[in-house]
Amino acid sequence: MKLTLTGVLAASTAILVTSVAAETMTIGITQNNVGVDSYQTTYEKAFIAAAEANPNVEAVVLDAGGDVARQIAQMEDLIQQEVDAIIIWPTNGEAVIPAVRKAFQADIPVVVTNSNIAEQGFDFVKSFSGPDNITQGSRSAEIMCDKFKDMGIEAEARVVQISGQPGYTTAIERAKGFEDRLPEVCPDVTLVETQPGDWNREKSQQVMEAFLVKYDDIDGVYSGDDNMGVGALNAAKAAGREGIIFVGATNFAVGYEAMAAGEYWGSIYQSPVDDAEAALQTAIDILNGADVPFLNYFDTPKITQDNMGDFTKPVF
Amino acid sequence: MAGLTKQGVAGFLAKQGILVAFVVFMIVFTLANPRFIDIDNISGVVRSSAILGVMALGVTFVVIGGNLDLSVGSMMSFSTIVVLDLHDKIGPALAIPAMFALTLCLGAFIGILVGYLKLNSLIVTLGMLSAIHGLTLTWSGGKNMDIADKEGTWFAVFGQGSILGIPTPILLFALVAAVLGIVLSKTPFGRKIYAVGGNGTAATFSGVPRARVVFLTYLVSSLCVAIAGLMQASRSLGSQNTVGQGMELEVLAAVILGGASLLGGSGTIFKTVIGVLILGFIQNGLLLVGLPFYVQYVVTWVIIILAVWLDIAAKRGRLLSPIA
Repeated sequence: MKLTLTGVLAASTAILVTSVAAETMTIGITQNNVGVDSYQTTYEKAFIAAAEANPNVEAVVLDAGGDVARQIAQMEDLIQQEVDAIIIWPTNGEAVIPAVRKAFQADIPVVVTNSNIAEQGFDFVKSFSGPDNITQGSRSAEIMCDKFKDMGIEAEARVVQISGQPGYTTAIERAKGFEDRLPEVCPDVTLVETQPGDWNREKSQQVMEAFLVKYDDIDGVYSGDDNMGVGALNAAKAAGREGIIFVGATNFAVGYEAMAAGEYWGSIYQSPVDDAEAALQTAIDILNGADVPFLNYFDTPKITQDNMGDFTKPVF
Repeated sequence: MAGLTKQGVAGFLAKQGILVAFVVFMIVFTLANPRFIDIDNISGVVRSSAILGVMALGVTFVVIGGNLDLSVGSMMSFSTIVVLDLHDKIGPALAIPAMFALTLCLGAFIGILVGYLKLNSLIVTLGMLSAIHGLTLTWSGGKNMDIADKEGTWFAVFGQGSILGIPTPILLFALVAAVLGIVLSKTPFGRKIYAVGGNGTAATFSGVPRARVVFLTYLVSSLCVAIAGLMQASRSLGSQNTVGQGMELEVLAAVILGGASLLGGSGTIFKTVIGVLILGFIQNGLLLVGLPFYVQYVVTWVIIILAVWLDIAAKRGRLLSPIA
């Protein structure tokens, strides 16, 4: 008797859910690791705010806490709940592919946000929404080259690079963008050495200290993000080496402040709010049947001491 | 010259094998890049090794006592974040003692679990590694912590200042090493740690309060972590939540490189200092030589194994094991 009652209840709930789903779209998101850094924390807040602002969207917001197994379980939960679309911020670009494939087989469109999954999973994904890290790298090269031209040292300048954690797609793509673009815009500038700073300020400070001992003449430092860039800046300040042009990526609050203080030249402005809103909009567009490009990048503009007034200070 | 008999040399090697290994590396790196021996470079390496070094001094106590401490990395992140956050809220004069108190509480908690409840230290501190990381994230909300007024605070003295031209972190490292070295080698407490780590049962029957000794080693370890956190926070005046992530293994590598046995009962503060310096100079030397990072990972590991081998070979007076 009890069983039947539960069955009836379940059936009626299911009907209720379907009738609601006809009017609103339910979009589930499983995030990488909210709380591990301010970017992800701000991303989540912006996503929830954007979803709440849209009366047609019902959002199911989940967080994998950096754990691949939990993210796969969350994907399965979202498939079970029959959401209309799933947004995933992969904890690991390869390990999540089977779960993404499951969603594909259940006819639920998947949008990958922020960092893409590995290429063998592309067939199961409707769109990737996120920053274009190769473009970011090449824009950083342009910022640095333009500054060298202003200073009149584009014929002789020497640059070192502090890259992100080895093996991370973001780190590889930014380095590639920078290394490919720099010789195009400033053919006489030499990139003398690249070492990883592992996205870590302290490690980057140590790497830069070694660079300063090794090279008497450094004109520019490109770092894979501002956090590492500020570490390098601290090393140069401690060693009393002035006149070095620092260019980073992913403008952090510390980088913004160093720019305001005139110590750090430029970076790439990447807003977690834009990132979150772009992901949600991509999912909505797909559900509305719009034609969405597979690589749906949001713009990440150049920011330097000259134009920083146009941007608000990053929250992270 | 009388001291330099064959036995004298062998005896010196057996006791100081790791020191010999250290000198050999220094010479090799200097030949590869003369700037390696530059006084600025050496002072830079010792200064940046100081944070890891102070943590390794505390862990030496724990390891000699026969236990492990894998929680020091995330505990250091905790101390750093807490002191940076409190700096702007209650001022540095109150923030520093508050951070020390909180960090010592964490050490005392681990000490109770391992010492009085006799739980396996590997499991306890592995668990605390993630638990403390969670605590740090809860405290900070995941945000990077930064001191607002970086120019106007005296707080920078512990990480950036210098006395008589010597950077403060080096002085702090030397001071902590001297104090802990004396405690370990000259006091009854120090001897009890060796006794507990060497043979816990025998120590108990000899009337050594085993639980209390183990508890105190963890307290010493957390005190060192608090000092390291202070230096770290003061050096960068801002920090990510993951600043100490992975350091527990480097710390352990330095302690073991210094010759402390993982089984407990042996090791000295002086040798741990040498272990710390070897690690620091390897990393710096490889950077100066300019090897790509993937080669560095391999070479670092090869050098550590080589150093341990040289140490053991010197102790037994031959390169290969007598028991084949």
